[in-house]
Amino acid sequence: MARYLGGLLALLFAASICGAVTIPGPVSDAHRSAASELFGDSFSSLEDAYEALRVFEILGVGNKPDVSATTCKQVVENLGSSSPVKDLFYALKVNGILKCKVNADVFKDIAVRLKATVNDASTLVDMYYSIGSLVLIKDQASDVDVLLADADGTFHSIKALSQSDGRWRYSSDNPESSTFAAGLALEALAGVISLASSEIDLSRVNTVKNDILKLFDSIEKYDDGTFYFDEKFVGGREHQGSLYTTSSVVRGLTTFASAISGKINLPGDKILGLAKFFLGIGIPVTLCTSDFFLWCRISIPLVLSLPETVYSLSKKDQLKVRVNTVLGSAAPPLTVKLVRAFRPDAKDSAVFENKELQYDKSNGIHVLEVFPGNVDVGTYVFVFEIVLHDSAGEKVFATGGQIHVPIYVTGIIEVSNAEIAGLDSDLGSVETQKKLDLAGNVVVELSANHLQKLHFSFQLTTPHGHAFKPHQAFFKLKHETNHEHIFVIGNTGKKFEIVLDFLGLVEKFYYLSGRYDIELTVGDAVMENSFLRPLGHVDLELPEAPEKASRLPPLPVDPYSRYGPKAEIAHIFRAPEKRPPQNLSLTFLSLTLLPFIGFLVGLLRLGVNFKNFPSSAAPATYAILFHLGIAAVLFLYVLFWLKLDLFTTLKTVGLLGAFLMFVGHRILSHLASTSSKLKSA
Amino acid sequence: MSKLIFIFLFLAFIPLLCTSFTPERPSDRRVLVLLDDFAVKSSHSLFFNSLKSRGFDLHFHLADDPKIALQRYGQYLYDALILFSPTVERFGGSVDAAAILDFVDSGHDLIVAADTNASDLIREIATECGVDFDEDPAAMVVDHSGYAASATEGDHTLIASDDFIKSDVILGSKKIEAPILFQGIGHSLNPTNRLVLKALSASPSAFSANPKSKLTSPPSLTGSSISLVSVIQARNNARILVSGSLSMFSNRFFRSGVQKAGSPTKHEKSGNEQFFTELSKWVFHERGHLKALQLQHHKVGESSEPSIYRINDDLEFSVEIFEWSGTSWEPYVADDVQVQFYMMSPYVLKTLSTNGKGRYFTSFKVPDVYGVFQFKVEYEKLGYTSLSLSKQIPVRPFRHNEYERFIPAAYPYYGAAFSMMAGFFVFTAVHLYNK
Repeated sequence: MARYLGGLLALLFAASICGAVTIPGPVSDAHRSAASELFGDSFSSLEDAYEALRVFEILGVGNKPDVSATTCKQVVENLGSSSPVKDLFYALKVNGILKCKVNADVFKDIAVRLKATVNDASTLVDMYYSIGSLVLIKDQASDVDVLLADADGTFHSIKALSQSDGRWRYSSDNPESSTFAAGLALEALAGVISLASSEIDLSRVNTVKNDILKLFDSIEKYDDGTFYFDEKFVGGREHQGSLYTTSSVVRGLTTFASAISGKINLPGDKILGLAKFFLGIGIPVTLCTSDFFLWCRISIPLVLSLPETVYSLSKKDQLKVRVNTVLGSAAPPLTVKLVRAFRPDAKDSAVFENKELQYDKSNGIHVLEVFPGNVDVGTYVFVFEIVLHDSAGEKVFATGGQIHVPIYVTGIIEVSNAEIAGLDSDLGSVETQKKLDLAGNVVVELSANHLQKLHFSFQLTTPHGHAFKPHQAFFKLKHETNHEHIFVIGNTGKKFEIVLDFLGLVEKFYYLSGRYDIELTVGDAVMENSFLRPLGHVDLELPEAPEKASRLPPLPVDPYSRYGPKAEIAHIFRAPEKRPPQNLSLTFLSLTLLPFIGFLVGLLRLGVNFKNFPSSAAPATYAILFHLGIAAVLFLYVLFWLKLDLFTTLKTVGLLGAFLMFVGHRILSHLASTSSKLKSA
Repeated sequence: MSKLIFIFLFLAFIPLLCTSFTPERPSDRRVLVLLDDFAVKSSHSLFFNSLKSRGFDLHFHLADDPKIALQRYGQYLYDALILFSPTVERFGGSVDAAAILDFVDSGHDLIVAADTNASDLIREIATECGVDFDEDPAAMVVDHSGYAASATEGDHTLIASDDFIKSDVILGSKKIEAPILFQGIGHSLNPTNRLVLKALSASPSAFSANPKSKLTSPPSLTGSSISLVSVIQARNNARILVSGSLSMFSNRFFRSGVQKAGSPTKHEKSGNEQFFTELSKWVFHERGHLKALQLQHHKVGESSEPSIYRINDDLEFSVEIFEWSGTSWEPYVADDVQVQFYMMSPYVLKTLSTNGKGRYFTSFKVPDVYGVFQFKVEYEKLGYTSLSLSKQIPVRPFRHNEYERFIPAAYPYYGAAFSMMAGFFVFTAVHLYNK
């Protein structure tokens, strides 16, 4: 429901995109493309469709045939079925734009239904939709009977919902009153008047007029004279904001004013303030034409606007002023007077006074050909006044009195006499002095220690030869480590100078010696040649930091160096042990075999024999087995070296050991008994 | 009856559950937008529409609406939050600065737009994110050299900036040609916060001060240390965008032409729309969100993963990395993904090669140090979510029988032992049977 003013809201969108802020210009292609982009091709509901189509219509965006086909289908469906009043209302509204083919009988059916609804309706919203729909049917199908039999009664039942402060309630059992509802009620009342079969009682209309005046008492105000309506109580409903509320009231007011005969006496300043509200948000005045159409009957505000508020002395810009009615149409013959101009910091002393602007018929703007000679660069407030040629017009048009417009006059500032010097602290004697041409690219190289001073000065003059004080005059020293120190350059008269006494600054410089780059920044809003210029560098020698000195503040981390791949790491493996060459090992192997060979040769030389070997069968077998066992154990050792592991070896050694014990015991006891027998014998 | 209600509730929540944020679909879906005034919904509709057209479900509320809540029954109702309410002193409902920070701490995304006269609440939230707005409430960023030429704005607070962060993942691969219009307050980054980045910085001639009053002391923020728009990626990959200007997002700035002072080129359209469309893609995880799968390793020549490695084994390592494109997972291609073989400190750190289809691989030799190692992929790149994967694997020394058996240098010792044994054998026989 509340979005029924969506068309207007969409204008807000369309308007807010035009570049010029002070006063929007006429509708441009930018608005159209923006609107197409905003609404797209398909609409989720008829309400959306109405909003979109209305904006397309106002902006002159060509009807898209595919859109109208699908939407018309939706419209016909809605009108045919017993859909809610709200849907009917929007269906009729869309039909008003698209002119879909709807059967006249359908209108008749709906009209009957709506009339019943009007009589039964208890809430304001229902009445608003049903009466609004009837008005729409009246416009779209003239042969349908839509006149209300009991217009007086309907009028009364709507009026019954009004409150003493001019606001309305949504329904009789809801005590909350709303400004938004007042707008709806006024529109509904206007509808009742136009649908009335007989004249409405004039006294009733007059009470509504009084309500409107009361409603205007609750209007809210900004400091700059802008008036708007706002909802005081926001309970339960979606908060609509001041734009919805104001547009609802204004729309209700204009429809009501058009429906009744006679004029509503509303205060002119408030009307102008309301106009300012819409314009301030940026609704192009040309777009509002149809919505505000009948508002003219109340009073037409004239709007003074400047296409530009920044003027360049160097380009010799002309001061241009455009005056329109709030509807965007041309203003009546009038003269724009520049009453006076002053600087914001010296309100009492006017720079110049009483200039009349020339009217340029071809462009429809008022022009001040040249600025008076005494206008220098700077910010000014220009006070304009609109004087109507026709004194009778003053009743028709609201001019808004004196209009204050801030103006920037820019120009090129001359920079001269720049000097940089190193001073000896004690005597103040100049050690090194260099003249600088700030327009060129010359840089200086200085060196200083903490007992010296740095002196820098320059002059700024306006095109008119006055001293100029810029907003921004910074002297920056930047250390190699990116620590920056900024000084504001003060001025004495025309001359800007700064003296840096390094002795007092060592603490501030964190005792950081080294190269400092010097940068000078001079800038101002009215200075066309603002600049940032490196002046060179100074090598500072500062004393060592004492222990208690404050630590350097951390610098922000460079995001690009923080990330990125790390250096690869490869493991360094332990180097294998150094080994002798293989031949050497083999040589030593053969050497280790020599003693064995020597042993064998020695045995042969000694003349060993095996005469003691048992001759009987059993001990001989044991002896053979015993020696085979020993050989097996030794061979096992060889196997152990070649392939076996410790466990297999020990197991086998255990078995062989037991076997050896047995056979060894047999043979050794046999040998021992033989030898003892031999001894005893 | 209660059963019926339960079933009904369950059914009602099914779509919610399906569309919400999951690790498999990291883009945000449900976005809460808090406004100072519903007019912002219309005046900034291009920005909101671009979000809607990308499938986001925007819920608009006034910032002081008493019914707003970020979570219910311990479940967050939204995946992201847009604070377009620079002047709000207190949020409605149970939402406060701590609740918003908790929201971020649980991995959700945030867009904050401040403006001149930003409230302490907004400043506090920004400070917690590592962004310090200029404390002077009347201060604005002024740039007398880099302003946007305009016939109606003479105080040089409308800035045309083109000092972007150099990152394709944050700002998209298409270069932003036109400068960005900015009008609002500047901020500096907390130098101790390593996560916050300047997405758009001011020019060296800019400063932050009240444009209407005379400067007596040096402004607290000057030059390119002023950040106009900052982005933060928290350690939990929650992303935050902080802007010092709400009007930057507006239709007016999106659509107005721009000409930087001193530059001859006039752009038909400012770069704001492209800038914020791309930036919001990043913030809402439509780009730069990585996932890693299939961290695998095995010995060279084998295919199954062993439970343990021996020192000096040769192994092959591979991992798959994909990037979320907003609709699907695409293979991620880069040449700086690294793997660490790590035990207390990295023993091996190697850059992985890629096959261009998301698979990254390398091979290396296990160090000759035994212990419990980890394969670690710690990938941090400007603008991307960080990947931190690890897989533990023990490394053992040689078994006793795995050492070298036939060492030529030891042959003399073996020879000595065996000749000794042979001698012993001969000696036993000789000793027993000699007569």
